[in-house]
Amino acid sequence: MKSISLYVDNGSWLCRVHPFTKLAYIVTAISVPLIGGTLWLFAAFIALSLAVLASGHLLRRVTPLVAFSFTILITIFLIHGLFNQNNQTPLFQIGPLRFYQEGLLYALRIGCNVLNMLFSFAILVLSTKPSELVEELEKRGFSRRIGYIIISVFQIVPQMMGTMSTITDAQRSRGMETEGNLLTRAKAFLPLISPVVMSALINTRERAVALEVRGFAAKQKKTYLADRTPHRGDKPITIALLALIVLAAGWRIAQCL
Amino acid sequence: MNLFKTKFNAATIVLIPACIGINYLGKMFASLLKLPLWLDSIGTCIGGCLGGPVIGAICGAANNLIYGFTAGDNITLIYALTSLGIGVAAGIMARLGFMKSFPKALLTAVVAGLVAVLISTPLNVIFWGGTTGNVWGDMVFAATQAAGMPVLLGSLLDEIVVDVPDKIITLIVVFFVLKGLPKKLTALYDANAKVERLD
Amino acid sequence: MPVIAVENLKYRYPHADALALDGLTFTVEKGEFIGIVGANGAGKSTLSQALIGLVPQFYNGAYGGRVLIDGLPAESTPISELCCKVGLVFQNPFNQLSGAKDNVYEEVAFGMQNLGVPRAEMHRRTENALKLLDIWQFRDRNPFDLSGGQMQRVAIASILVMEPDIIVLDEPTSQLDPQGSEEVFRTVDKLAHSGITILMIEQKIEKIAAYCDRILLLHQGHQIAFDTPQKVFSRPDLEQLGVQAPVFTRICRALGTTLPDGSYPVTVEEAANQLRRTSVLPPVSAQQEERPELFEIRNLEFSYRPGTPVLHGINLQLDARPTAIIGQNGAGKTTLVKLLKGLLRPTGPSIWFRGEDISHKTVAALAAQVGYVFQNPDDQIFRYNVLDEVMFGPLNIGMSEEQAREKSRAALALTGLSDQENSNPYDLELNERKMVAIASVLAMDPDVLILDEPTIAQDMMGRRRIADIVRTLSAQGKLVLAILHDMDFVAECFDRVVVMAQGQVVADGSPRQVFADSAALQAARLDPPHVTQLCTRLGYDGVFLTVEEFLDACGCQA
Ligand SMILES: Nc1ncnc2c1ncn2[C@@H]1O[C@H](COP(=O)(O)OP(=O)(O)OP(=O)(O)O)[C@@H](O)[C@H]1O
Ligand SMILES: Nc1ncnc2c1ncn2[C@@H]1O[C@H](COP(=O)(O)OP(=O)(O)OP(=O)(O)O)[C@@H](O)[C@H]1O
Ligand SMILES: [Mg+2]
Ligand SMILES: [Mg+2]
Repeated sequence: MKSISLYVDNGSWLCRVHPFTKLAYIVTAISVPLIGGTLWLFAAFIALSLAVLASGHLLRRVTPLVAFSFTILITIFLIHGLFNQNNQTPLFQIGPLRFYQEGLLYALRIGCNVLNMLFSFAILVLSTKPSELVEELEKRGFSRRIGYIIISVFQIVPQMMGTMSTITDAQRSRGMETEGNLLTRAKAFLPLISPVVMSALINTRERAVALEVRGFAAKQKKTYLADRTPHRGDKPITIALLALIVLAAGWRIAQCL
Repeated sequence: MNLFKTKFNAATIVLIPACIGINYLGKMFASLLKLPLWLDSIGTCIGGCLGGPVIGAICGAANNLIYGFTAGDNITLIYALTSLGIGVAAGIMARLGFMKSFPKALLTAVVAGLVAVLISTPLNVIFWGGTTGNVWGDMVFAATQAAGMPVLLGSLLDEIVVDVPDKIITLIVVFFVLKGLPKKLTALYDANAKVERLD
Repeated sequence: MPVIAVENLKYRYPHADALALDGLTFTVEKGEFIGIVGANGAGKSTLSQALIGLVPQFYNGAYGGRVLIDGLPAESTPISELCCKVGLVFQNPFNQLSGAKDNVYEEVAFGMQNLGVPRAEMHRRTENALKLLDIWQFRDRNPFDLSGGQMQRVAIASILVMEPDIIVLDEPTSQLDPQGSEEVFRTVDKLAHSGITILMIEQKIEKIAAYCDRILLLHQGHQIAFDTPQKVFSRPDLEQLGVQAPVFTRICRALGTTLPDGSYPVTVEEAANQLRRTSVLPPVSAQQEERPELFEIRNLEFSYRPGTPVLHGINLQLDARPTAIIGQNGAGKTTLVKLLKGLLRPTGPSIWFRGEDISHKTVAALAAQVGYVFQNPDDQIFRYNVLDEVMFGPLNIGMSEEQAREKSRAALALTGLSDQENSNPYDLELNERKMVAIASVLAMDPDVLILDEPTIAQDMMGRRRIADIVRTLSAQGKLVLAILHDMDFVAECFDRVVVMAQGQVVADGSPRQVFADSAALQAARLDPPHVTQLCTRLGYDGVFLTVEEFLDACGCQA
């Protein structure tokens, strides 16, 4: 069963860093440039994120994420470069399309913000096991119901894919052609949706009973099978990151005064 | 009848991940067949209809937050608010009896679609300068901008073109799924159910 | 004070007309081992859920009377509190997983985590339970990738580790191999001796009779009897109540052998002590008729994941004799029949159907000739109406609407579902859903019918119905190939038995030959049928397979 989580334990130091440290990094990386408001801060954090990813041997696995948001970025550059309301200074022309400086600059800002978010999230997403993140959250008093919901999503999606292939098997067994050209396969896809959705919903009943009898709603403090060994950088890095936010805010206020 | 009455028992807790899984499936289906729709709120609407507006809201928001934080899809993170709105809308309409017949379900779809539009448009403008990332919708947006219309209006049209048809298809699917659900299951989500005494 | 006190318990599910439980009154003392028996729909599972408070707290509905667990009312004590006292293993293991853990070890520990058991203790209990149930080697596997029996073991382990004072087990051994279920009974019995109270729902009557102190007999929600096994199983009206007495009781009754108190023996020991040895001719094997060959399997290898082969070089010819595949959990039985059906692909050409290599055929192309009923019926149901569900297959293989409807109605009649035509299959009970799955394949009128553990969850009537289906189809010259864990049923209905162990065929022949081969049975963790066991004890020659056969030899009518 293939998981939807992008985490793979590649043994790098990043995998051993506490999830909260990575969360603090996300907060800092996103908020500092927004508070500071200058373009070079975005660039600095993008570069920093990339450096961290590279040192964790994760650079190659970021590419598909970037590719995913690329189409959306291109649309933004096209639409704003061509049609932004504030467009005044033509910059260059490709065929009949004339691009303007104001629109492109505006698009650049959006693009930088998106990439910055993407890379900083990538650090967390690619190097943290979801169940570990949830366990740490629960240990700090996060509701175990919410914890269950999160973890269970990671189980349920591959399980639904499994159900899908079992139901395909059942339909094939009863004479429905699902192999062959694209049209046959596409046609076979439609009758799958409703039984998969149905079975996912119907399983919830028994799943709920299963949770009840296994003390899911118990009031006792939960215990855990494993304890993580803290990374010695966790504390100083977190403090430094939070200090950066304060610094940025202070600088901005000072500027305004 | 209290519209927002909600049970937080194992049955509703388990419903939420199932709905999020269904959302994922719908989205995968739409992108596999290259449909000009999202289809990523089927589960949220089911959650809302079965568990009420609060569960719908949680399904919607949790959906985007979970995928955003753990699957690397942080663009969806921003739209957690929209999903939340859709879940609430579907939940309220269902509690008001607007999922009982097919024409009424269509009305629910329009309401859910409009709620999505109202919440998404400002988000689009703030984060993307008005585009939505959907090819068809963005063509409309480009046209409005070329014609010199205000960004907000363009973005609104952009969203309407995408969201309303999407929610109509979504709620048609939801309507038929709910109709097929066995009574044994739906009885669990009845927020007003009480144990009757036999003696 | 009794640990369980039930007083005039009544319950009705929401939207239901009839009471599922009607006026139950009994008490159970600490350390007792209670068996609960009854036909399908008798209310056994409902009672088990009432003991842990799921009925009525989870299901709502209408409730009357009282259930006291250690003095606590089950109706109002939170389930999260009751579950420390009462552990419940469900009927369907496929649904007992928490869905929050991705390996067996953590899955088993999930309940303890919720109850706040200290870490070292959790590891100790988990390891013990996994070893006890023989699933230690699967601790790192995803629980959803296990075979049916392995999953059932996980379900039992996950409740045992919570160490409740009362354990309620709802058909916990339905998918286990015979020695595996014997081990579960022995384990549970040991727990009972250590002061833990056990309530076990089972269709395996001989086992229940051998282990339980008292039997609670239910019928349509009513409590018929609560007494010793000897008293309960000696009741003359037992069959009308949908329960078949143990093999030993049936034999003793027919031979008129009673215990001093006038009831009949219920276990093999009691029966062997009471029955006097008479001279009995050993049974003779009937001449087997020749049947045309259908499947030819040569050197079949298969693995789900590279490096861990599941089937090793299977060689087998299958003709149209009714054939049973038996063997230990995880032996590869389901895998083998899925390969025959084309749902899994062997690495090279190794399976021929009527002389044709099936590796190039699509499953759909084989569908009209080879029918397959899944181990879990829920994998197979996808329509909202029983008749539509059954007609799906026939319509797909090109029957006309008329003909499909006719065939489907006939199949529903054969499976006893005629009056459920318009029900939603998801609203039916497990045993009925299993029948719907069988009917939906029967309606396609295939030449080969593969049944994966068809007797799960079926009561006496259901098993007889399946036996009828097997006979009817073989009389029509079709191959019925069934995977089974019920040896009595195998001995009764099948002409050929294939024994599998660890991905290999270890024995193959008539039931009489196979059940005489104790080495093969041991390798596959099987036991001979109960009659065979009794006759071996009594020192008779030959292998007796059914009660009728033995009674005939004794010169007596059943
Ligand atoms: N969730 C439910 N909603 C409504 N009716 C139900 C529900 N579960 C069971 N019933 C009905 O209650 C009755 C008793 O069912 P129960 O499952 O307790 O029987 P059982 O003795 O366990 O049968 P089996 O041997 O098939 O497991 C049946 O008539 C069944 O149809
Ligand atoms: N989808 C799968 N992925 C990986 N391994 C699997 C999968 N399905 C089954 N197995 C493994 O293959 C082996 C054979 O499984 P199979 O289901 O054929 O056993 P079985 O003989 O039918 O057992 P049971 O009597 O318990 O149903 C088992 O060890 C099982 O864990
Ligand atoms: Mg039952
Ligand atoms: Mg099997």
